[in-house]
Amino acid sequence: MIDTMKKQEIRDLALFGGAPAFDSIRSTSNLVTPDIEKFLGYVRPVYEHGKFADNGQLVHELERRLADLHQTSFCVASCSGFMALMVAMHVLAISGKTEIVMPSLTYRRMADIAAWVGLVPHFCDIDEQSLGVTARTVEPCINSRTALIMGVHPITNLCDIDGLERLSIQYNIPLLFDSVEAGWASFHGRMLGSFGKAEVCSLHASKLLNGFEGGYITTNDRDLADALRTTSRFGFREDGSLSGLGLNAKLNEVHAAMTLACLEDLDAQVERNKARHRAYRDFLATVSGLTVIPYDETERRGYKNVLVKINESWPLSRENTLTLLHAEKLLAMPYYYPALHTKSTSYRTVRSGSLQVTDRMSECLMLLPCGDFVSIEDISGIADILIFLQEKGPEVQASFEEIRET
Amino acid sequence: MKKGAGSLALFGGNPAFTRPLSIGQRNFVGWDRVEHALRGIFSRRYYTNHGPLVQELEERLAGFFGVRHVLCMTNATIGLMIAAKALGLTGKVLVPSFGFPGTVQSLTWAGLEPIFCDIDPVTHLITVASAEQGITPEVSAILGVHLWGNICHPGELARVADEKGLRLYFDAAHAFGCSCNGVPAGQFGDMEIFSFHMDNMLNSLEGGCIATNDDNLAEIIRNIRSSYGIRKSMTVSVTGNGRMSEAQAALALLSLEDFPRNRAANQERFELYQKRLSVIDGIRLVCPSSETQSNYQHVVAEIDEAAFGLSRTVLTSIIEAENVGSPLYPAGSIHHHEPYRTLYPGLQEAFHQTDKVSSRFLQLPTGKHVSGEDIQTLCDIITIAREQAGDIRALLKVKE
Repeated sequence: MIDTMKKQEIRDLALFGGAPAFDSIRSTSNLVTPDIEKFLGYVRPVYEHGKFADNGQLVHELERRLADLHQTSFCVASCSGFMALMVAMHVLAISGKTEIVMPSLTYRRMADIAAWVGLVPHFCDIDEQSLGVTARTVEPCINSRTALIMGVHPITNLCDIDGLERLSIQYNIPLLFDSVEAGWASFHGRMLGSFGKAEVCSLHASKLLNGFEGGYITTNDRDLADALRTTSRFGFREDGSLSGLGLNAKLNEVHAAMTLACLEDLDAQVERNKARHRAYRDFLATVSGLTVIPYDETERRGYKNVLVKINESWPLSRENTLTLLHAEKLLAMPYYYPALHTKSTSYRTVRSGSLQVTDRMSECLMLLPCGDFVSIEDISGIADILIFLQEKGPEVQASFEEIRET
Repeated sequence: MKKGAGSLALFGGNPAFTRPLSIGQRNFVGWDRVEHALRGIFSRRYYTNHGPLVQELEERLAGFFGVRHVLCMTNATIGLMIAAKALGLTGKVLVPSFGFPGTVQSLTWAGLEPIFCDIDPVTHLITVASAEQGITPEVSAILGVHLWGNICHPGELARVADEKGLRLYFDAAHAFGCSCNGVPAGQFGDMEIFSFHMDNMLNSLEGGCIATNDDNLAEIIRNIRSSYGIRKSMTVSVTGNGRMSEAQAALALLSLEDFPRNRAANQERFELYQKRLSVIDGIRLVCPSSETQSNYQHVVAEIDEAAFGLSRTVLTSIIEAENVGSPLYPAGSIHHHEPYRTLYPGLQEAFHQTDKVSSRFLQLPTGKHVSGEDIQTLCDIITIAREQAGDIRALLKVKE
């Protein structure tokens, strides 16, 4: 923060002519920077000995470490979370069936990934408390065409793992978890990674582990792991023969090294994330218009994201709030907006009934700046702005109307 | 130096190479330069999402190819998948069966059906005649492949595509820095897709790019690739993730600096192989076509079993035993492999030249890690194999 002066007047807000509260952008991306010497320490020996290879020793080591972390037997690294999801959907979908059940309030490219593998997204609603899919929201979407169920973990909480596993067994339909936003979480004390048939995580720089770009799939099923691996490598088996359709989803060695270096810092990072999240909760405790969605502290969590719900008593629309924050160089984001079922697509999608909770929740949640670039002091400054907005809401709203008129 | 057949590693002799000699280019730059570039990324803390190095790389490559747009990609196969979607192709696409599986697979992922074409036995490229033969009303494009860096008839295929109203694009994975009658690869067809996999000329470990002169197509590709780097927001049929990271871009930029030196060294290695192998009966190197100025990133040989005295399979085992990476290019005739084998049972006997070349060719190691001495040693071994083919056949019988 450059300007530690609190906003006193409406004109102190950057949108209305004041100096931005921050001199550089604070975003919702994690951008964790591992110890560079540790990172170079992984890359250098492999590089200097000319031992870079496809699925080389660093990728192997990373897969082993991630499997340990998630307490699974197998981990298959990928060049991105997107490609990991694509490969997993392709391998897991029941052949001859066409639909994939997924939430509508989720990652904006989720339906497109399904389209790449030739599946029709069947959108389901979510639970208002967890913001995740549950057995109750998924079951109405299951029919004779269902090829796969996506258990997507929402940001902060988890989806209904027990209920979805029950459905998966009852209907004999495979269940794939998207755990991109739930990295390093546990459920009933067991690490995420081995629920359903498989789970997918991301190593994008904005996520918990920064691998530049990357992703991975965890599973306890050996045959599935083999199929995921061959599909990620053009369909090549270990002996060089071709097993079937594949593509290039290989993670490269430098990205693997980056992730390995981040893993060394993971416990410490989670503590830093937790302190940031706690600071938001403390500083915003008096702001009745905003509720910081809590993490379940009885389980393991990564604490990276800061999700807030905008209540009735918040004086501004979410859109205006975000516009004001952006002017202060705070890149707060709406939570998964717009919902996927409201977008027009070049491919067919399906939904059963109304998605009431989805529609409501897609309008009232936002993610506040978090990650390695955000200090506790920054959070104090962000909270001051939000407190100011809560207090001066009607005046701020009036100023919005003024600039709209001019 | 090895003397008789018995000294070959296949029959218990010591391998000629103490370290494994891989086939691909593996043109790595010195560690100091890499370390400097990686430290730069950490100081900026800009890791991906169309960062400054990716932007610089795109600009430099556009200058290198002489094109209006270069779009960097995670890897070339993702580039090919995105290319097919960006072109809005439907139905069927003409493509050679001979080559790397990713080319054909990209079409399948894009919901298209490959129509395989046969190749010319000398250049290993599809022939214009075989492409013309495959055209039906359902065909929407030709996907040419500049295999082994030989540029694939850009003028004639463009004429055919124009006449029939087809799109034309090229898999240029092998053709970085090649040109055709002086025109650089990158400028042909609607677009060309390059690979920066470490086995190719330009090395970012994994990576690739699309080059095009079409402004609209470039913007569609940007919109499919990621939301970062978009200049104008457009509605596209489907999005993907083809982002290249700053680490990949850093390696590619360094490799680009070394390109002229690496290309010249490849040519020297090729000429040495040529000099040694041209005097041996039954082995022929695939040479750049008369219109191609090559990057010489591949050294590909064909074995005529009758003249050489040994089959390609036997020569391959001899070479591999000396600690050389597998000389067989992965896959070869794609229509003989799954899922295409099951999808197109009628094609199994259809492509005579493709099948003939598939059974005769092998690759020889080249790239920065291969010295002139290594090439001399390997050519000595091939000479022994040719001269003592009879003894080798006898030893193989004993071995069985």
